Amino acid sequence: MEASDLTGHISRRFNKDIEDLRSEVLTMGGVVEAQLARAIAAIVSGDSELGLKVAEDDYKVNDLEVSIDEECSRILATRAPAAGDLRLIVAIIKTITDLERIGDEAEKIGFLASKLAGMDRPSDSYRELKTLGTHVSHMLRDAMNAFARLDVDEAFEVVREDEDVDQEYNSIQRQCITFMMEDPRSIKRVMNVTWTARSLERIGDHAKNIAEYVIYMVRGRDVRHTGISDASELNS
Amino acid sequence: MIASSRKYVIGLVVLLAAGALIGWIYGETFYGFLIAALLALIWQVRQLLMFNRALHTGNFDTFRFGEGIWQQIYSRFSYERDRGSRYKKLNRQVIKEIRRSTNAMPDGAVILDEENEIVFCNRAAKTHAGIKRKKDRGQRVDNILRDPALTRLLQANDATRTADIVSPVSDERWLNCRVVPYGINQKLLLLRDVTERIVLNRMRRDFVANASHELRSPLTVVSGYLDAMAEDDTLSQSWGQPVRQMQEQAQRMTRIVAELLELSRLEGSGSASIDEIIDVGALLASACEALREQGDGPQLDLAIESTAHLRGNIAEIESVVVNLVSNAVRHTPADGRVSVSWQSGPDGAQLVVTDTGEGIAAEYLPRLTERFFRVDSGRAREDGGVGLGLAIVKHVLGRHEARLEISSELGVGSEFRCVFPPERIVVDPPIPMAGGS
Repeated sequence: MEASDLTGHISRRFNKDIEDLRSEVLTMGGVVEAQLARAIAAIVSGDSELGLKVAEDDYKVNDLEVSIDEECSRILATRAPAAGDLRLIVAIIKTITDLERIGDEAEKIGFLASKLAGMDRPSDSYRELKTLGTHVSHMLRDAMNAFARLDVDEAFEVVREDEDVDQEYNSIQRQCITFMMEDPRSIKRVMNVTWTARSLERIGDHAKNIAEYVIYMVRGRDVRHTGISDASELNS
Repeated sequence: MIASSRKYVIGLVVLLAAGALIGWIYGETFYGFLIAALLALIWQVRQLLMFNRALHTGNFDTFRFGEGIWQQIYSRFSYERDRGSRYKKLNRQVIKEIRRSTNAMPDGAVILDEENEIVFCNRAAKTHAGIKRKKDRGQRVDNILRDPALTRLLQANDATRTADIVSPVSDERWLNCRVVPYGINQKLLLLRDVTERIVLNRMRRDFVANASHELRSPLTVVSGYLDAMAEDDTLSQSWGQPVRQMQEQAQRMTRIVAELLELSRLEGSGSASIDEIIDVGALLASACEALREQGDGPQLDLAIESTAHLRGNIAEIESVVVNLVSNAVRHTPADGRVSVSWQSGPDGAQLVVTDTGEGIAAEYLPRLTERFFRVDSGRAREDGGVGLGLAIVKHVLGRHEARLEISSELGVGSEFRCVFPPERIVVDPPIPMAGGS
């Protein structure tokens, strides 16, 4: 399926509906990306005000989810789409759920950032969280790009990236355990770091899910829970 | 009739007449005429077929035209053909030049149609924003550049507004976007790399914040000792005046440092994050009361014409009020008057501070909100102002989506007007408080 296939309907209204819907999803993606970027910035710069602002702005993501969901139901009911269009709508319904979850995780990170800002800061200003955060925000960006361009190769790239993120998360966790054993007074702070890393790792998973929906939408094949090597075979 | 056609017709008539004449000599006029006509026809058909073949193969070398009409047709045809290909070449060159020049542009340029779909983009659009020229044609641009700031900019469709977004290609780079109306129902999206400006700005801000922060602790030590010295009775009398002056200057420096820190904090974050419902009327009343208690200033009039409340950060709005009113009092002689008013309407609310002071010359008005800017640099340091008040006012208003309008006339007075947008106004406050009007 190509991007131009989506606009090949006889009904121009349907074309516009589908294009508008896709744009809405990507707008929501943009809002979520901005939320994530600000949440990571709040952690790294120790800006509690910014962290709270991120948590407060989560309602924008929720509102978008509700309105897109309604629009999907309306199209399903009135247009009864088939084949590629149906896959698109199904993929969108799932994608926005994952986007909303990412928004929730960003909200959580915002809260944690405002908590961490009030505590001692390590000399490296949470560099490992910044690295992990940059990694997952790139994953999210690439997943949304793959969605916009219906680019299966990029989607597979995102699915592969998730393994690296998991490993990074594991090493942060090991590091945190070491810190806590060395200095029990730091447990409270390090626990917050662990929670942040956990949220970032979950965002990576959600980005991977979105990439899988893109593959489903374009190829019509479900690559969830198949393992990356099997999935790659499908691509060849 | 053109000459070649006339010659052709005459030739044909002569040929047919000659055929008929020869036929008449032999007693068969009709057959003579017919044979001549047939010969003419065969020759024409042969020429026609050859011309057709030459047209298709493009090879005119084997084509013999002889004299007359066929040569005329061919020369006309080849002349037109040469001219056409010359124009084509010229056009191709012009297009190539245009494409080369758009590619050489350092700024990204993307042509959008009315649905914001990408029609054309240059090479810089790819390096700046990762837009792929072939693949992304027909894609809506906000599908690829998803920053909410750009989405708002595209919706506003206002050529004077710009938005700074992080480049999707690299997190370290910043792009300044501008949307210009273009052609028929089209838009031109310009993307300029402004990383350097953003980085410089951030460096300046960080420097000011760090420097002020570092100055604070030595200042505390100095003023602490100065306070102790002022109360020390064993110190000789002659030290009284210098110590008092040092104390005053130390206080002034403390205030400058505090305001610089406040400014860099205001600059650091986008919009006011704390949303409180502020009773502006009460705030104005208490600020004016505090200033009246200091005595011997100009007359201070307060006119609360609205009970509307404001959504915002109360500490910041208070600093706006205090800065504007104390500025007005400071610049107005004791026999003048300062009036403060709070009004609201359907298109927002206004906080207006008017004075009958010395006024400000028009050329200084645009520079008034710069840090440390002084209209009269010799005099102003004496009156206790720091030079950061209006800069703080401007930043606070910016954080509340409001704007500051200043009008002034030398010798007559000045008017400072803060215009708040309707979104910030709460007409029916949830908890009505006394003292509003």
